[in-house]
Amino acid sequence: MTQSREPVIRVSGLKKFYGDVKAVDGVSFEVGRGEVFGMLGPNGAGKTTTIEVLEGLRPPDSGTVEVFGLDVCKHPESIKQRIGVQLQSVSLYPRLTVTELLDLFGSFFKHSVPTAQLIDAVDLGERAKARSMNLSGGQQQRLSIALALVNDPELVFLDEPTTGLDPQGRRSLWDLVKGLQARGKSVMLTTHYMEEAAELCDRVAIMDHGHILEMGAVPELIGRRFKERAVFFDSTPKLPVEQMGKLGGVTRAAQEDGQTVLYSRDVADTIGALLAMADGLNVDPHNLGIRQATLEDVFLDLTGRALRD
Amino acid sequence: MKTLLGLTVANLKGLTRDRAALFWTFFFPVMFVLLFGVLFSGSSTTKITVGFVDQDNSQASMGLRNVFAQVPLLKLQDGTLDDEKAAMQHGDISAIIVIPSGLEAAVAKAEGHPSAAIELFTDPAQTQTTQVVQGAVAQIANGFNLALAGGSEVVAVNQMTLTSTNISTVTYLVPSILAMALMQLGVFAAVPLVQQREKGILKRMGATPLPRWKLVASNILLRLIVAAVDTVLIIGIGILVFNVQMVGNLAAAAGFVFLGAGAFLALGFMLASFLKTEEQATGVVQVVQMPLMFLSGIFFPFDFMPDFLRSVARLLPLTYLGDGLRQTMVNGTQVAPLATDAAILGGWLVVCLIVSARKFSWD
Repeated sequence: MTQSREPVIRVSGLKKFYGDVKAVDGVSFEVGRGEVFGMLGPNGAGKTTTIEVLEGLRPPDSGTVEVFGLDVCKHPESIKQRIGVQLQSVSLYPRLTVTELLDLFGSFFKHSVPTAQLIDAVDLGERAKARSMNLSGGQQQRLSIALALVNDPELVFLDEPTTGLDPQGRRSLWDLVKGLQARGKSVMLTTHYMEEAAELCDRVAIMDHGHILEMGAVPELIGRRFKERAVFFDSTPKLPVEQMGKLGGVTRAAQEDGQTVLYSRDVADTIGALLAMADGLNVDPHNLGIRQATLEDVFLDLTGRALRD
Repeated sequence: MKTLLGLTVANLKGLTRDRAALFWTFFFPVMFVLLFGVLFSGSSTTKITVGFVDQDNSQASMGLRNVFAQVPLLKLQDGTLDDEKAAMQHGDISAIIVIPSGLEAAVAKAEGHPSAAIELFTDPAQTQTTQVVQGAVAQIANGFNLALAGGSEVVAVNQMTLTSTNISTVTYLVPSILAMALMQLGVFAAVPLVQQREKGILKRMGATPLPRWKLVASNILLRLIVAAVDTVLIIGIGILVFNVQMVGNLAAAAGFVFLGAGAFLALGFMLASFLKTEEQATGVVQVVQMPLMFLSGIFFPFDFMPDFLRSVARLLPLTYLGDGLRQTMVNGTQVAPLATDAAILGGWLVVCLIVSARKFSWD
């Protein structure tokens, strides 16, 4: 395979409006060959629209969108031969079996991977003859990944691949994605799970309301905003968040998911001050803990709201 | 070609593994034929009305008339040949017996050769009636010969054919049920399409290099295969179980089968273009197919409909498919000339396809 220095995806000034709704409002990014790139954001942020423009499913309103250096509007057919696509929550022909579906989709491409090999790769051997309607959620998701790999694509798009999966299913899907990267595939995925983005992606773009707010490697994104660690406890009206900023070492205080989070430069100082204050008020902060700042904190900091709402 | 066939086979598997779809596409029309066949095939045991045209006005012809009148199955209706022919074409009578002028004179100088002939008009499409009338007339002619000429054949029977309409026979209903089945398979095609769009299957296909025309073509191919199977089933049962005779132009009938399937499939595509959810689709499809079935006159003769219904029926494409099939399969009387039937169905096909091409959305 010839390694090109050309990025596999190049998007510049992409806009896509639906009437008054600015689904994607001026987005630019690049994805390098062999990279796993994540788009992170809440529902309605514009992730799916962006990915569907890249897949050639929707024409952009403006901006340039290139995949493999080819304009998606001008060369959709040759791009589609080389990409793998997994759409958000698609159920396929319900009455066809796993094998039949993989054979069928393989027939759409010039080159296709043998079906047995694909079934093996996503660990669906025992369900090869099962109709897709009878698969579990995790199995259906694995099948749709197998379908995305049917043409041995150079670039794979995964739109919320783990939504609706239990933790075990999510783990096994993560392993699949890591396997893709190990085989030199480029991957672009969307998710609204922070830990998923942190676990899988080389780089992440945080998206909200059609804009990319921040982009970079996960540690870099966290480090850029948070030199601090976070002290957290279950929110209680007796310890109002407004008063927390005064405590020692605290740079900023916020409330998310029923927890009060104090970002602190000096955790020992902060906890000491917090406990003294609580003692004075005769309250006992529940589930007190310390952690590193996460992508979740970055998102909260960027948008002022939690990612999962 | 390989992808097209693969896709069609995939769709076919989807259909044959779906019991509800199987029921509507194959068993429902068959049930209809069986039910209607049983209901109406008994009608030939009642009296058969036969036109009697006496052009001889002689003692001999009067004598013959008396004999015919005594046959318990026959009911005679006197009139001129033109009147009787019109009545038969209209379906009021099932056969015509004509005693030509000069019969008595011919019989009087009978010399053992057939010297006079009774003309008998029957409709070959109405097997049972025709057999009964032909048998009765032949027997009476024989008896007449025996009595008058000691067994030598002086009066012969000339068999003539004339197409008639008979509302209460399976023959009339087989093309109607076929038209209904073709309409349903086309209109019902909207449901899986909407379903595939709602589930994102169409969109997922759009992300592969598969050209859209192949997706459309495989859908059409699938429905035409179903149309062919339905046609064979319905006509087969008509012939085997109810002894219906196909006497028309079968090549033209096949043409109407495919034109009709195509027109209603285009209608199905058009419906799918405006419907968003599967529930909507199943509902709207019923709302469309029910009036088509009952207002287009495929199940009762056009002439029997009240005026306002007739003008409604004239607007509905199923009227013309039923008419075209009836004319080409069993020589039924026409609502419109064949060319008009074909043109109207073709018009529906083209208009619905154009609207679908403009309005159909893939996600």
